[in-house]
Amino acid sequence: MNLVRLYVMLIRASIRSRMQYRFNFWLSTLLATLVNVSEFLMVAVVLVRFDGIQGWSLYEVGYLYAVISLSKVIYRSFANDVHNLDRYLVNGELDQLLTRPLPLLLALMSQNFRIMLGETIQGGGILAVCLVMLLQQGQVGWIAIPLTLWIILTGAMILFAIGLTTSTFGFWLTKVEVLQTLTEDAARSAAQYPLTLYPGWLRSIFFTFIPVAFANYVPSLYVLRHEYGPWLLVATTAVALLCLAGVLAFWRVGASRYQSTGS
Amino acid sequence: MLFPVLVRKAYRVNLQYRGSHLVHNLASSLFGFMYIFIWMGIGATHELEGYGVTGMIHYVGFNQAALWVTGFATFGLGIPQRVRTGQIALDLMRPVSLFYQTALREWGQVAYQFVYKFLPIYLIYAIVFSFSFPTQFSTYAGTFAALAIGAYLAICIQYLVGVLALWTTESGWFHWLNYAFLMLLSGFFVPVEWLPSWLRAISLHSFYPYLQYHPVKIYLGHESASVLTGGLVWCVGFSLVCAMVTWLARQRVEVQGG
Repeated sequence: MNLVRLYVMLIRASIRSRMQYRFNFWLSTLLATLVNVSEFLMVAVVLVRFDGIQGWSLYEVGYLYAVISLSKVIYRSFANDVHNLDRYLVNGELDQLLTRPLPLLLALMSQNFRIMLGETIQGGGILAVCLVMLLQQGQVGWIAIPLTLWIILTGAMILFAIGLTTSTFGFWLTKVEVLQTLTEDAARSAAQYPLTLYPGWLRSIFFTFIPVAFANYVPSLYVLRHEYGPWLLVATTAVALLCLAGVLAFWRVGASRYQSTGS
Repeated sequence: MLFPVLVRKAYRVNLQYRGSHLVHNLASSLFGFMYIFIWMGIGATHELEGYGVTGMIHYVGFNQAALWVTGFATFGLGIPQRVRTGQIALDLMRPVSLFYQTALREWGQVAYQFVYKFLPIYLIYAIVFSFSFPTQFSTYAGTFAALAIGAYLAICIQYLVGVLALWTTESGWFHWLNYAFLMLLSGFFVPVEWLPSWLRAISLHSFYPYLQYHPVKIYLGHESASVLTGGLVWCVGFSLVCAMVTWLARQRVEVQGG
């Protein structure tokens, strides 16, 4: 409990320091919104032009996009510097975190909390529009709303696990930028579309080594299309918890291999 | 003789990281494969008007490789970092315009990326998807000119992004904004003629199609090199803006004592 309180306190300090530069905060929020709207338009243009993709409508793909965007917002807000671990390894800054009286991972996660307001507004807006349209069409019921919130949460856990696994490789490789392009950027971009678009070998990667399929596609099969059954959500949650447990064990092994840059 | 020296040195600096960059090429090409698979999936049930599935694969493959020439210029041409460290004051004191020296360094980078990133990535797609190559020399000459214009525009944009660091610490966001607009408006993933009319109008009134759309259309033989006149006009306009902004930067910079 003390650790959680400490983490919250550090996050608050991080937010306070960020809000010292209010103009920069609002400018970055505005620009982040524009970036994300533009990114979604790229997907939307294709969907509108071809009236959906492989049986998935504009609102269904919009839902896939919004869910994974919001999961990313949670992951990158609360654990931003997990993504930037290689910077700590290259500059030897991890030494400072090791001297703090809290677990290394928690210390890393409390660094540079990001207030991703632009991304939240954009992702939330798209999700709201898509859900309202799907509700009006009678494709989903009100239960879809709490289920979606749960999917976003488990998605964030999965994205965090993928991100932390990739960063942990940094204890051996030091620089993991290229790996992150593959496991985080490419995989997340791929998951914005229905995974049936991809060939079998690529799809199987998204179900196993980089399990991004469980962040939005798999649970959406039940929530949006009523395929399989509610057990799909239970299975998704189990996968998220399994990923989390696995990556924490892997992190402990990686951290034990850490060698400082020296003086 | 500053021009060849700076370009050559920037090229040689990059040569030291050839191995690492070749691995990076793999990651970049996988991104392209993902986009290609999306079009293959769509093409299985829809007609891809004017391109066909094969044409669209070639379109996306070329664009993914061309990003390394016209899309991935160094963030702010390294200027934000120089603003943070104060090095910018020394750069502005030099008897050469800041724009000229940073742009020359970037041309070395562009040349390197053309050889070690554009060509290998394009060749990967060409082998995997059995691309047929253009047979006329004029097509290659036109494409090369189009890529050079695109690279110059990309350098100018990054220079403007870089100089913004003198006014705000958030210049990085302008870099990302440019990248997002590039993806949407340049015809990188969706050909400009397929954009909805309002978005197509924005695209065609901007410089973005000269970064991706026109080079690939010339390469595929859909357009002649005469369309590049518009690109040259944009180059002149951007050069003037960059010169003006350099003058403003000189007025803006403050050197701390100590």
